[in-house]
Amino acid sequence: MIQLKRYKNELIVGIALLLLLIALIYKQGVVSGQSDVSAGTSLQELKEVIALKKVWGDKKITKKVDKLKTIVSPSKVKWSKKSKKLTASFLNLSNQELNRVIIKIMNLAVEIQKLEVKKLGASYHVEFKCKW
Amino acid sequence: MENTKELILIYKDMNSVSSIPANGVNIMLTPQFYTIKREELPVKYAYQAKRIAPSLFDALLEDVQNHKYFVVKEENSWLFIAYDVEKIKTFLEQKGIELAQVSKVYFAEQVADLFTAPVLLGEKEALVNLNGTITVLPQIVLNPDEKPIRINTSFTPKKGVTFEGGGKSFLATTEAYTLASVFVLFAIIYFVEASRYGGENEAQVQEMQVLLENYPSLQSSYARKSISDKYRIIDKKERKKRDVIKVLSHMIFKGSTLTSFLIDDKKFQAQFACKDKSVAKKLQELAKKEKFNTSKVPNGNDIQIEGTL
Repeated sequence: MIQLKRYKNELIVGIALLLLLIALIYKQGVVSGQSDVSAGTSLQELKEVIALKKVWGDKKITKKVDKLKTIVSPSKVKWSKKSKKLTASFLNLSNQELNRVIIKIMNLAVEIQKLEVKKLGASYHVEFKCKW
Repeated sequence: MENTKELILIYKDMNSVSSIPANGVNIMLTPQFYTIKREELPVKYAYQAKRIAPSLFDALLEDVQNHKYFVVKEENSWLFIAYDVEKIKTFLEQKGIELAQVSKVYFAEQVADLFTAPVLLGEKEALVNLNGTITVLPQIVLNPDEKPIRINTSFTPKKGVTFEGGGKSFLATTEAYTLASVFVLFAIIYFVEASRYGGENEAQVQEMQVLLENYPSLQSSYARKSISDKYRIIDKKERKKRDVIKVLSHMIFKGSTLTSFLIDDKKFQAQFACKDKSVAKKLQELAKKEKFNTSKVPNGNDIQIEGTL
């Protein structure tokens, strides 16, 4: 007891130092644990894959593509859809109709294989090929 | 705990101490080892009083520098006690008391009220409360009818001083407490940081688990990579195609009309009919800005713009 008291100051500093080391080791452990998670599959990466899948693997895309047929008069549309591929022609479109068709195509999450616009007199002719 | 320890009265003519309890002792010094002064001072705290203590003893002590000071607030005044640590240490060692065995050091003046009768110091002297001040007097002047008392643990005051361990300690108390405080402070900082990181980590893991439960097909890292690679390529290509369409649509303005446009997986091509040369020039500048290739269509102001994807 007396020996301990003699080195009381050293003991206090020693205990404080030990506490510091424990805290440091604990922190390092937590930080390295966190980097293990980042190294493997980070949450950010997973979120990105999910976002990409949501956009380009949209299961409702077929229905959305079908809506393209309805935005202009049916007489102006030639439609050929096979499996997950579409070939469509839009004939005699006015400026407004052309805008509507192009905007709709741009907002569809499909792979554009071919998009051709030709001006014939005052109207436009659009040919569109895509897959999803 | 301290108050239960044996209290030894230290005086000049005392005999050597033969045995000390294993848990150490408290000691009480007689006025032979200290000098007192009572002052009414307009200070509130002991540390303020302690600061001015050396100046109070200037005229009383020869070697003020070697003294330390103990200050106690009394009813209307401050009690200042000056003591020479080295002298006391030397005396205690001479009497067989190691400093490491001493828990606390007290001064008889602190408990003057308890000296209701003389306390004998050996055969010749006695400790007496003389008008409120503890004084050493020859036993010969004592009233023979007055029965002397002995001090015991009940004489232990609340506050005392601690002597550092006989020069055997490597660190002074102040240094030790400063160092320990710094270490503890850093330890607290590390613990707080660790808990913050840990919290974030746990939240991320939980969020990830929820996402993986909702998207079981992404649980395998290979599947995840394959899906990610596939869609990243599509995303990059399709975004580029749409960007080109958007940029070209901005090139349709007054005097500039789109006459044809074609885009596929590899390239794009657009032709604009321009009203005049200035419109054609403006169009060419816009296309250049986007790093598209431009060419003039012979016999007219039409501009052809093309590029690869």
